[in-house]
Amino acid sequence: MARILIIDDDEPFRVHLGMLLRKAGHVVLEVECALHALDKIALDPFDLLMTDIFMPKMDGFELLTTLLRRHPNIRVIAMSGGGSGMTPALALNVARKLGAAEWISKPFQPGEVLRMVDRALQSTPT
Amino acid sequence: METVSTYQELLDVQKLSEMKQELGDGFTTVVRHYQAGVLHRPERIRQAIRDQDAERVAMESHSLKSVCRQVGLARMGDMAAELESLGTAGNFEQAESLVERLIAASVTANQELTCHCAGIDLPRPFFEKGGRVSSP
Repeated sequence: MARILIIDDDEPFRVHLGMLLRKAGHVVLEVECALHALDKIALDPFDLLMTDIFMPKMDGFELLTTLLRRHPNIRVIAMSGGGSGMTPALALNVARKLGAAEWISKPFQPGEVLRMVDRALQSTPT
Repeated sequence: METVSTYQELLDVQKLSEMKQELGDGFTTVVRHYQAGVLHRPERIRQAIRDQDAERVAMESHSLKSVCRQVGLARMGDMAAELESLGTAGNFEQAESLVERLIAASVTANQELTCHCAGIDLPRPFFEKGGRVSSP
């Protein structure tokens, strides 16, 4: 069982992922923006973060950069369906270079998500 | 007379069944959240078209596309993808006509999702080629 924080401005995705991960036995918190995520992480430790890339106010790239500077041991899964003229593949490649352990393209396959979460949790933080 | 094979069904029942298996008791709650997205976003796209805001048309359509494809509304997802392209190109005239079909489709999709969650198997409307909703 792990503590997982989901950050996505798209409510249906956030709720769907949260439900899926809770059913798999994890403790899950969901927030809709990166700034709220930074507040939560400052208060409570999380084993894993799952963040959307294209969000208003602060995007997933900025969140990754800020987060891994402050909490270098935290593991992150980036998620994207593309946006701002970037394909999902390009966005997720950038996220990987910024330090994301795994990356998920939207729409997601639930089985694939659970496998990635397990893999990310077993990986050594960078 | 058109046959079912010339229509594309609105709901991907197989995908919804898989979701139900994966989510168990949480299935209906998750679908309710998708329904809200499917219902409200086309209205936001219509407003963005009226405001001649190409970036917002593209952005809202992009979000709707992902939501529809995730919950098994493939045809609506394709329409949203087309609207995203029209928004990116700033083609408001075509976008205006397409968004009206999308709004009609979203109402039908919402009803069908409600019926599906309630286990009610009603004769379902289908999409004609081009996205217009009609009864079988």
